[in-house]
Amino acid sequence: MSDLLEPPGREETIPTPTYYDRPMLKMPHWDGWNVVTYLFLGGVMGGLGVIGVLTNPKRESDRKLKRTLAVTSLILAAANPAVLVTHLGRPERFLHMLRIAKIKSPMSMGVWGLVLYSGAAGMNVLRELALSGVLPRWMRHLAPSLFAPVQAIIGAFIMGYTGVLLSATANPLWSSGKRHIPVAFVCSSMGSACALSNLVSTLEGNTEVTHKLERLEMLASAAELVALISFERQSGAYGKALFSGAAGDRLRTYTIQTGILAPLALNLLGAVVPLPKPVNALRTVIASVLTLFGGYNLRNTVIRAGRVSVQDPSVASVQPS
Amino acid sequence: MATGFFTDTTLCIGCKACEVACKQWNELPSDGFQFTGDSYDNTSELSGTTWRHVAFIEQMSLDEGGLHDRWLMSSDVCKHCTNAGCMEACPTGAIIRNEFDSVFIQPDVCNGCGYCVTSCPFGVVDLIEKFDPDGSRYNLASLVEARLDEDKTALQGHGGVAGKCTLCYDRQKIGFEPACAKACPTESIQFGDVDVLRERARKRVETLVGRGVAGAQLYGVDDVGGGVGPLNAFFLLTDRPETYNLPAQPVLPSTRQPAGYSSAAIAALGLAIAGWMIFRNE
Repeated sequence: MSDLLEPPGREETIPTPTYYDRPMLKMPHWDGWNVVTYLFLGGVMGGLGVIGVLTNPKRESDRKLKRTLAVTSLILAAANPAVLVTHLGRPERFLHMLRIAKIKSPMSMGVWGLVLYSGAAGMNVLRELALSGVLPRWMRHLAPSLFAPVQAIIGAFIMGYTGVLLSATANPLWSSGKRHIPVAFVCSSMGSACALSNLVSTLEGNTEVTHKLERLEMLASAAELVALISFERQSGAYGKALFSGAAGDRLRTYTIQTGILAPLALNLLGAVVPLPKPVNALRTVIASVLTLFGGYNLRNTVIRAGRVSVQDPSVASVQPS
Repeated sequence: MATGFFTDTTLCIGCKACEVACKQWNELPSDGFQFTGDSYDNTSELSGTTWRHVAFIEQMSLDEGGLHDRWLMSSDVCKHCTNAGCMEACPTGAIIRNEFDSVFIQPDVCNGCGYCVTSCPFGVVDLIEKFDPDGSRYNLASLVEARLDEDKTALQGHGGVAGKCTLCYDRQKIGFEPACAKACPTESIQFGDVDVLRERARKRVETLVGRGVAGAQLYGVDDVGGGVGPLNAFFLLTDRPETYNLPAQPVLPSTRQPAGYSSAAIAALGLAIAGWMIFRNE
């Protein structure tokens, strides 16, 4: 009330900086488990495609890993549209997105990426099954090796587009991270993809690839950490919704400490100290699960903080460029 | 012809006839009653089923000349931007620009993804949460030809498609002006050719400034910046935009995509090269 009665000059009568502190922007409707799950699984799925093209075909363990990657990514490619449909309400609504392709809409591009990725993943599974003798060997000619790099390129796009999708909104928090959120999502996706393939490979007994996947995972997680720290430093008032309060605690505890630092320590331990095989397998499983949990929580926290962010009209008026 | 609104808030008397006319013509359901205590504003905001919203701002100040008070009223509406964030974001092509240069949502195409909701720099568009909240039927399209059968739309009782001002597409098609402009008793809401309205708005603000009206300014007549461009529904305000819950510097969300995609690409490429070295150089 005090500033209401302060005497302004005739030129400036500005007693109300906001409109009853009401939100200036609309709250995102993406609050359910399904959107978070889609963002997470989509990223992991994309990362699996990228790792697939990195494997060395001259090595048996890498060939086995590639097979694992192909099958896992196809399963995720089948699951993802289903998760999206639970968000949209009815299957037909997913098909509405396939009536056009729009370069300017990351969501449109992402859906087409998902569809094309599924096709490429299917072809790669066909090829892997033919090569490994599950299907007749001649069937490998139906699915040329070209589909592996195709899947990897689309996969790389899918790892990052969800971050671009969020930053290309009017949401104060998300839009302030136009570089950081995409980078963090790409790195988290790669780390989680390494973790998932490592987990599956370990359960399959293919432990020769463990340390390679873990080295890539450590690199991706470290880069994710750098992106998040840099985001916190540069986002200022826009980033408050993510980095302070309950969201900040959740991000620091679950994503940074549990999902990045703990697996980093476990992976370093595995790289430095020779452990007995079953202990090492257990270590790998724990580290992988923690990384996956951190990746899921990153999406969850960013999405939820976006809903908090719009409630503060003071950061909505001058929008980040 | 591009048509639009010139909302001259200095003429608004806060009667809310625009809100009522809009609800009636477009058969929009009630939002229920909430007593907010925010002056006479119990509507609070634009929503999927509220396409005009009258804001009430009570200002008081004290100086040597005594107590000054003024009561600002302003009827807010979808801005029908030159570069519309909602339209660019829409992954189904449900949001189009029609022959009147208005941004229009085709409800039978909308899939309720909610991307337009977060992509509007003005916080206008929202999802219609419930299809038929009080048994009063919402006609979905505000289209004059063949009322869309709800069973044949994406809704089918699920609710959740996006809704906002259509600039009374159906009325315009038969040569009528939008319901809110028709109902406005003071011509605070003026409808017409945007070029004519822009000219009128510039003259009006000149007149007001000449008379010494404090803070008289136009909002959206010229480019609002941030890539949004001029608005087809613009305003004459007498205080800073934030006072009316309008953003001082809106930004078109898609302008951030080049930075986002390039950063993501660099990160992905870096990790792929590192991964290649890890897997191939052993």
